[in-house]
Amino acid sequence: MAEIRIENLNKSFGAVSVIKDVSLTIPDGDFCVFVGPSGCGKSTLLRLIAGLESATSGRIVIDGRDVTALEPYDRHLSMVFQSYALYPHMTVKENIAFALRTAKTPEAAIAEKVAKAARILRLESYLDRKPGALSGGQRQRVAIGRAIVREPKAFLFDEPLSNLDAALRADTRVEIASLHKSLAATMIYVTHDQIEAMTLADRIVVLNEGQIMQVGTPRELYERPANVFVAQFLGSPKMNILPARAAEGMIVLPGSSSRLAAPAGWGGLVAAGLRAEDCTVTGPDNGVLSGIVVVSEYHGAAQQLLVDTDACGRISAFTTADRDLRVGDRVGLDFATEKLHPFDGGGVRLA
Amino acid sequence: MKQERSVENAVLAGPIVLFLLAILGFPTLLSLVYGFSETTFQTLTTPEFSGLKNFRDVTADPTFWQAAWFSLRFGAITAVLQCALGLALAVYLAPLVRRHGWTVAILIIPMIVAPAMMGLMYRLVLHEFAGPLPHYMYSWFGWSPSFLGPANVFKTLVVAETLQWTPFAFLLFLTAFQSIPDDLREAAAVDGTRPWRLFWKIELPLMMPTVFVALFIRFIDGFRVFDNIYTLVGAGPGGSTTSMSIYIYETFLRRGEIGKAMAAAILLFVSAFVILALAQRLMRRRTP
Amino acid sequence: MKPRLTLRWIVFAIAAFVMNFPVLATLVTAFKSSGEVSRNPSLWIEAPTLENFATVLTISDRLNVYHYLWNSLAAALIGSVLPMIVAFPMAWAMVRRGYGRAILFPLVVNLRALPLIIFAIPLYMMYATLGLLDTRLGLGLLLAIVNLPLALMLLVNAVAEIPVELEEAAHMDGARLPRLLFKVVLPLCRPALITTFVFGFITAWNEFLFGLMLTTREAVPMTVGASFFFATSGGGVQWGTASAVMVVAALPPLLLGLIMYRRITGSMVAGAVKG
Repeated sequence: MAEIRIENLNKSFGAVSVIKDVSLTIPDGDFCVFVGPSGCGKSTLLRLIAGLESATSGRIVIDGRDVTALEPYDRHLSMVFQSYALYPHMTVKENIAFALRTAKTPEAAIAEKVAKAARILRLESYLDRKPGALSGGQRQRVAIGRAIVREPKAFLFDEPLSNLDAALRADTRVEIASLHKSLAATMIYVTHDQIEAMTLADRIVVLNEGQIMQVGTPRELYERPANVFVAQFLGSPKMNILPARAAEGMIVLPGSSSRLAAPAGWGGLVAAGLRAEDCTVTGPDNGVLSGIVVVSEYHGAAQQLLVDTDACGRISAFTTADRDLRVGDRVGLDFATEKLHPFDGGGVRLA
Repeated sequence: MKQERSVENAVLAGPIVLFLLAILGFPTLLSLVYGFSETTFQTLTTPEFSGLKNFRDVTADPTFWQAAWFSLRFGAITAVLQCALGLALAVYLAPLVRRHGWTVAILIIPMIVAPAMMGLMYRLVLHEFAGPLPHYMYSWFGWSPSFLGPANVFKTLVVAETLQWTPFAFLLFLTAFQSIPDDLREAAAVDGTRPWRLFWKIELPLMMPTVFVALFIRFIDGFRVFDNIYTLVGAGPGGSTTSMSIYIYETFLRRGEIGKAMAAAILLFVSAFVILALAQRLMRRRTP
Repeated sequence: MKPRLTLRWIVFAIAAFVMNFPVLATLVTAFKSSGEVSRNPSLWIEAPTLENFATVLTISDRLNVYHYLWNSLAAALIGSVLPMIVAFPMAWAMVRRGYGRAILFPLVVNLRALPLIIFAIPLYMMYATLGLLDTRLGLGLLLAIVNLPLALMLLVNAVAEIPVELEEAAHMDGARLPRLLFKVVLPLCRPALITTFVFGFITAWNEFLFGLMLTTREAVPMTVGASFFFATSGGGVQWGTASAVMVVAALPPLLLGLIMYRRITGSMVAGAVKG
């Protein structure tokens, strides 16, 4: 098990720069999730760590050893692929044992390790089948089994759940989490699904256009997003961004007569983020802002509204389902200053 | 990492490159040497440089031009016939083949038989006394043409070649036809398209790339024809069925004119190369 | 909406009969006695007999069919297996590293379109000096050249169809190039290798020109041997025996082809599309 350190890593394909000066340290035993929109470079970053792509510049250090110039087979990492990449001509047992045989492990030790992995992953009854005869979830477990028998320095997962249906995805997510706990291994996990990111990660790395937007625990990222990108990327619905300004110690919102005191350091305020769940729906005359309901979605436990406030744009908000607000109703929106996320003109968090 | 790769690449490419150099590289060199020199089978090891003499001899030989004309005509006519027939069969028989796959196996038998054997088999089929075809012609019409006589030999060869290789075109078209997604046909049917129009407006346009490929391959094979003509009639009555390949073969082995044969081979190579390049450019433009 | 098949069956029967007519006629004649051949040229056998096959399968001064068959088998095996051996590593390097794609690939593929006679003469000269004339090895090497383009194309297609993740997974599993090639890529190419073999074997067995030019006695393949049988019999061909010779000569590729006809249909297409 090992610490993974990335220093000033760059990767370009021809003229296109995919990873731009990324530096990152993933401590030993950490579960680190790379998340971002498609094309943000998260998979490339993972493949650079794996050695499947070679870096244009910068260093990758695994367990204190510079592996930048090494081929994948010399890096002692395991990877679980999105497509599982099981060898179709080998049985489950042979798939799991392949890496061990490559390393010329004694057959007795191989049998023991394969049996152990099969037990952990509940694959005992499938060991002699070919991957083609397995369900998606079983293939997924074989792929994980193949990764764990090697006792690698770290595990890499490239969107491993995206080929599973919703129910299975939730189950497998739990299994991966418990696997991490029992192995206490360094894991890097790439996904575009923010729920996977939030539930699995010790540490989330949000990437956009080849750069790290923010690194932190799920709670840090959600509660104190470093910039508008992270703020809007995590959470559903997307965080509302209000065109707020600070003037004379007060927050000025267009179309609002309410006056909220601006905390210290908010002088450069250009935009204020507000999550839907932090926004209370009130009567038309009571809130900070008011507007007309343009979309009303009934979620069972709650009701999600999209309210057109005119000067402040459309704002999402949650309310209890029993209110039964309809499209065309006029409502007020209320929120507390401490729930606002202040951003400057460049979209960076203030204070 | 980089250097390791280039060593690996060299090892991977090694066998095929060595093989090609040995079997083709050296002979190509030889053919250039002999093409430009005066040699007989007695003076094989001491070729005497003679410049372009061989090429002048070849181009002055009317038989060479006859052979070239024969090959061109033969290739073009058989290619068109095979493709037309193969296309019609493929489209018409596709529903049958879909349900009874083994029927394909019956239809491809001719192309699994060696062309040389096929030529010999036609000797039997067309034989005046022992051949079934003249027999049935006589018993039904009281008359049979002289299939291998000067008047008919070209047509006979064209028919024989066409019947042997129509299965090839048939197979290509069948696969192309089957790979047209059924929902296209269904969409057209729902739009009120009748089968005939479906074929001309949807199926045929989608199969056009295959049509070009098939025409090209069949032309090339017809152009270089040797085996079946050689075993059926040889150079034919009065040399009338001398194809390019037969011309070179005869010049070389029968007449021992090594330099001239080599020069003809080089000319054939160059023209084949030009045709190939043109065809590929054409196809590339068709399928961007 | 089931298309009606009756008319299609009729068209199929006619097409099959016409295209296979020479094969059929030969097969029928092979079972006729020599007396019947001269009396009855029709497709109907009055008194089926195996005497022609008995003659063919008996070694005589005129004809040693076993010798021809053995020559054909040996040369065709060399001619079909060797191209796979040399093309496989190259195909992988072409697909995964783009190595040789620009020059070597078109070069080899275009070989297929060149008239074989072009190579036959210089090779005759080369073989004369190397002592490869009239040897099974010499013939096999040439047949390998004939089959090389298709072998390379089929293997390139096969490797390209292997998901690259499989190879990446093998890399992550610690496999270096040789292990990757032999344990992962090669087994996955098995269908293509079988196809290449079937098609290559049939092509090699059926080849005539090289056999005619490069062999005289020792290494004469079946196709050429059969034509000798016609040539040496002078004016009066023994049609019954001749037909039996042709049946024997055509049988091995025909059996292989009919058993594996699905492979042939597949390879025709793969080979043609890139043509």
